[in-house]
Amino acid sequence: MDYIKVNNLSFVYDAEPVLENVAFRISAGEFVTLTGENGAAKSTLVKATLGIIKPKTGEIKIAKQNIKGKKLRVAYLPQQIASFNAGFPSTVKEFVISGRFPRSGWFKRITQHDLEHVEKSLRSVGMWEQRDKRMGALSGGQKQRVAIARMFASDPDLFILDEPTTGMDDVSRSEFYRLMSHAAHRHGKAVLMITHDAEDVKAFSDRNIHLARKQNTHWRCFSVHENTAEQSSKALENKEASGV
Amino acid sequence: MFSLFQYEFMQRAFLAIVAMSLFAPLLGVFLVLRRQSLMSDTLSHVSLAGVAFGLFIGISPNLSTIVVVILAAILLEYLRTLYRNFLEVATAILMSVGLSLALIFANTGRGKGINLDQYLFGSIVTVSQTQVILLAILAAIVLVVFVLFMRPMYVMTFDEDTAFVDGLPVRLMSTLFNVVTGVAIALMIPVAGALLVSAIMVMPASIAMRVGLTFKRVLMFSVIIGFIGMLTGLVISYESGAPASATITLVFIFVFVMTLSISKLKTTFK
Repeated sequence: MDYIKVNNLSFVYDAEPVLENVAFRISAGEFVTLTGENGAAKSTLVKATLGIIKPKTGEIKIAKQNIKGKKLRVAYLPQQIASFNAGFPSTVKEFVISGRFPRSGWFKRITQHDLEHVEKSLRSVGMWEQRDKRMGALSGGQKQRVAIARMFASDPDLFILDEPTTGMDDVSRSEFYRLMSHAAHRHGKAVLMITHDAEDVKAFSDRNIHLARKQNTHWRCFSVHENTAEQSSKALENKEASGV
Repeated sequence: MFSLFQYEFMQRAFLAIVAMSLFAPLLGVFLVLRRQSLMSDTLSHVSLAGVAFGLFIGISPNLSTIVVVILAAILLEYLRTLYRNFLEVATAILMSVGLSLALIFANTGRGKGINLDQYLFGSIVTVSQTQVILLAILAAIVLVVFVLFMRPMYVMTFDEDTAFVDGLPVRLMSTLFNVVTGVAIALMIPVAGALLVSAIMVMPASIAMRVGLTFKRVLMFSVIIGFIGMLTGLVISYESGAPASATITLVFIFVFVMTLSISKLKTTFK
C-alpha cells in the first residue's frame, strides 16, 4: 500500500528550476533513503511532498489511511531541529509529551497511556534520565535524540526524516538505523530518510532514491536516479518478510 | 502604601495593571520565542499613525488605531512568510511608515495641532473607566484563548513546519496571534505609551524565561513578574513624581539585570 505517491513534481526557486519531473513512491513497510549531493534540493523535495512549500507542478498523494484502515499519522523531523529555539523554555518530558497531542487530541487530557508512550520513547533514545532537564541545557546530540523521542511518542505510520542522525556518534547512528528498520519491517511503518551516509544505512534500508543532476539541462536541476537492482530485490525480500 | 489607592484614579490604574498583567506578558512570551520582539515596537509605532489618522478625520482614535493595527498585523504576517529570513527588514520599514504617517497626520492641514504626547508616552493615572473595561475584556479573551490553545501554540512556537505536519492551521493561528497582539497594543497605547508598550510585553517574558523551568511555569511567572513590576513602578512613580510608564520599564530592567547577575553568580560558584 502506497503511503506517498509523487508524480511529475517540479520546483522552481527564484525562477530557477531546482527539481524537475521527480516521481517516487513509498509504501508501508519500506525503509527508503533519499540521497544527493549538497544543494540537490533533498529537503525541498521532502517539504514539497509534505505540503510545507508549494511545488510548481506535480501530483502529490499522501494516503489518508494506514494499513489497518485508521487515520494515517505522519511525523516529520526537520533538519537540525535541535538547533531551533535553542533556549526554548521547556523540559525534555514536556517537549516529548507534545508529540502525543496530534494523536491524543489537542484539547484532551494526557492519559497514563500517553505517558507510558513518552517514557518508552525517551528510554529508546537513552534520554529518560534527563527528562526533567531543560531543553536548553542539553548538548546538540542530546537535543537531537529528544526530538527523535518526540517523533517516536507520536507513534506515526509514516516517518519523514531530514538528516536525523546529525550530531550522533557511530554507535547511536547504527542503533537508530536498526530502530527504523525494525519499525518498517516488523511494524509496517514507512520511512523516508534523507542521509549522507547511504553506505552505512544500506544494510538496514530497502532502497535509495538518489537526486542526480539532469543531463543537458540547467546545472542545478535534479531528478530521481534509478534504484539499483540489488536494492530493489532487497526491498522485496524485506516486504515479504514483514508480510506487508 | 495602601493610602494611595484611596484615590479613584489610582484604583483605576491598579485595575488597568491587573488586566494588562494578565495578557501582555503572556503575549510577550510567544513574541520572544517567535523572535518577534520587535513586532510589538513596530505595531506600537503603527498605532500612532492610527491615533493621528482618527484624530485627523474626526473619529474615535481607539477605533482607528485598532483597525490600522489589525491591518498592519496581517501585513506583517504576510511579509513574514514572504521574507522568512529578513523579517527585521519588513519590521523596520513598517515602523518607519507608521511613525512618518503619524507625523504627517498630526502636522498637516486640519491635523495641525494634534498632540500625540499622551499616546507616545502614555499615562496610567489618567486611564478612564472605559479603557479599564476594554482592557479587562481583552484580558478575559486572551486568557480563554490561551487556556484553549496553549498546546497548539506551544508546538507552533517551537517549529512551524512540525506544527504544520502535525495538522495545525499554522498560517491562520499565526495571523490571529498577530491580530490579538495588535489589538492588545492598540488598547495599551494610551496607558503605557507607544514608546514603552513593548517593554511591558517583552521584559516580564524575558525575565520569566530565565527563571521558569517548564513552559507552563514560564507563562505563570511572566504574569506574576508583570503584575509585581507594574505595581512597583506605579507606587514608585506616585511617590517620586516620575512618569509611570518610564518607572515601570526601569523596574523591569532592574529585575532583569538582577536575574542575570544571580544566574551568573550561580554559574561561577557552582
